[in-house]
Amino acid sequence: MHDKTALIFGFNKYAFEIAEHVKSSYKNVILYSQNKEDMNDKEYSFKSFDLSDDWSSIEKDIDTENFIAFCTIEDDAQNIFLTISLRAYFKDLMIIAIASNQENANKLSMAGANKVIPIVETTADIIANILELPVSNKVIHDILFEESSLKIAQIKISENCSIKGEEILSLDLSRYEGIIILSLMHEDMSSEFIYSSKLKDHVLTTGDTLVVVGYENDIEEFKKLIGSES
Amino acid sequence: MIKRLIIDTAYFLQTSKNYQAKKRFFYNLLENNNYRYKRYIDILMITLIFISVSVLIREVKYHVNDYLLFFSNYVISIIFFIEYIFRLWVSSSISEVIVNRNEHDSFLWRKTNLFKAFTIVFKLKFKYILSVRAMIDLLAILPFFHELRLLRIFILFRVFKLFRYTKSFQTLAGVLATKKFEFITLMMFSSIVIFVSSVLIYVMEANNSNSPINTFFEAIYWSIVTISTVGYGDVTPITNEGRVVAMLVIIAGIAVLAFTTSLVVSAFTERLDEIKEVKTIENVSKLKNFYLVCGYENVAKEVVKKLLKNKSKIIVLDDDISRVANAKADGLTALHYNPGSVQSYSKLHINIETQVKAVLCLREDDVSNVYTALTIRSINRDVFILSLLMNDSNRKKLEFAGINNLVYPQKIVGLMTKEFVGKPVAFEVIHQLRSEYSNISIDEIAVTDTIVENFVTVGDLGNKEFRVIVLGIYKKENDSFLFNPIDSILLENGDYIIAIGYSIFIKEFEQHLKTRLSNA
Repeated sequence: MHDKTALIFGFNKYAFEIAEHVKSSYKNVILYSQNKEDMNDKEYSFKSFDLSDDWSSIEKDIDTENFIAFCTIEDDAQNIFLTISLRAYFKDLMIIAIASNQENANKLSMAGANKVIPIVETTADIIANILELPVSNKVIHDILFEESSLKIAQIKISENCSIKGEEILSLDLSRYEGIIILSLMHEDMSSEFIYSSKLKDHVLTTGDTLVVVGYENDIEEFKKLIGSES
Repeated sequence: MIKRLIIDTAYFLQTSKNYQAKKRFFYNLLENNNYRYKRYIDILMITLIFISVSVLIREVKYHVNDYLLFFSNYVISIIFFIEYIFRLWVSSSISEVIVNRNEHDSFLWRKTNLFKAFTIVFKLKFKYILSVRAMIDLLAILPFFHELRLLRIFILFRVFKLFRYTKSFQTLAGVLATKKFEFITLMMFSSIVIFVSSVLIYVMEANNSNSPINTFFEAIYWSIVTISTVGYGDVTPITNEGRVVAMLVIIAGIAVLAFTTSLVVSAFTERLDEIKEVKTIENVSKLKNFYLVCGYENVAKEVVKKLLKNKSKIIVLDDDISRVANAKADGLTALHYNPGSVQSYSKLHINIETQVKAVLCLREDDVSNVYTALTIRSINRDVFILSLLMNDSNRKKLEFAGINNLVYPQKIVGLMTKEFVGKPVAFEVIHQLRSEYSNISIDEIAVTDTIVENFVTVGDLGNKEFRVIVLGIYKKENDSFLFNPIDSILLENGDYIIAIGYSIFIKEFEQHLKTRLSNA
């Protein structure tokens, strides 16, 4: 069993920002750099790598359950190559990659990245939201980046849950004041908006996950009420 | 005594705000093409011109109503006369000359030489009177004395006045003026050809009794008709010698025609961009409530795309010609001006305070962004400025430059990965709400007076019927966000409703809020 470890490939501002933000959830953060001279930094542990590396040498050190890889090389072609070679060796490894634009993001997804962040589009999205939807942007920013106690949480319907078997739309939310159910996620991870027509007569079953927004206390209260575990 | 009075009056006029403002107003009205109301004066004048020309044409064969005739001859002439006087007035300032003279002389301990001042004034005014435009204006007034039959034709000068009021004529004249030298060469060439061929044809044909060319005037007439490739055929040479001359003139005619055409075309193509730009600048100065995007690179491109979806107006400024070309290729109004120069804004007649909704410094280079932001701040203190931040170590500098909102892509990526690692579902949900690819979206609805009248509390909104979630209400009063408000919360003007749902349903919901009064 390995400790939770984040492998970050690339030696640039993105890599550092990611390292900074994931170090609370991952015990080990290892930065991989293509340049050996970069390895003198003290804050993180560094390893050097080469795109032509044969990953089979470290294959046994990597536990795909607890490891996560971030591919942040600024050159998109290299980043795609890295992603593809990682995927070739580690079938189940969670790979998150950054891409300069949507076009490369699609290529990275094809190369096997689980999640791709297209930088230009994401930044543009945020700028457009700041300008056009300033209020909701602030609210969402607060929810996402935890500057308020308002949270988005996922609540799993377990075996002995009190609302199991109820129709989702008939849930009397006044009983659970303070939370809003946004969407429902099926067991296969596909999610539906709460007012989607597909959920019209949906009966909650084990394995469904509710995505709710609310204040931390209210969410806890709700969980207790319905008897959910997490 | 009189001298003292004159100088005092000049000083008074020069310092009187009221007088200067009025003069400024009339100047704008008559001469400033960027002044909003000048157009109305122009249209009025053009109408008057057409009325008097119509009267002239009608008068040739028919009797014209006496009132109309009176209107054309006297009223219009008087209006033109008043205009002429106003133009003469605003063309230069007498008081300024006198004041300057007085200050100049008193500085040198001399007595004010009013005679010199008046000479300068006279010269200035006379120079204006002698200018082509002023001459045409003056001649257009002359039909006032229409009793003199000859002067009646001066009404045609009113047509020339049209040049003053329609800009495209001025542009055309300006464009052709750039090829002055070529046109003169062409004129010289064709005059020589016309002259030589007229003489030749006259010599060849005039003595032939069957030839229609009997006078030198007819010879010139024939030459011009032939060289211009018009060739009426009413006058034709009949002798062989004459026909040889005709052949030469025809060949020369083709050359002249081709040369003229190519001259006009090349004059236009050379200045086409310039003309277009002038037009764009004119349009920009009339635009309201637009986003000023400074620098057109990758992020800017995407931002603009998204803003355009919401039907926002956008002007792009960039000092790099290839990026401007990119923006133009994307169908935007883009201008090749340096966004970091105060001059650009005055040249473009952009009033940041009244016209610009927000300034976006989207160069992927902190130095340029700081430079642009400082420039904008030096012109206006309050406009909202958003800027990209490429390097966190520059954050302080950009904030100091007065930027309201900094967007740092690296930080965004960091936060996103954190969120993704910690709460993948929340991340996906929010991402879906923000992304344009899904049909679920988040929107804000501004609470207006009409909404408040019909919907007093949150409970009255009836959003569930529209399958819309009201995530919360933003209260303007205390700048706070009320999440999931209880039904009894009062709505107030200026609040925002944050709604989540299918975009179409949100639109319907908004429509419902705004029009319920009329249905009731």
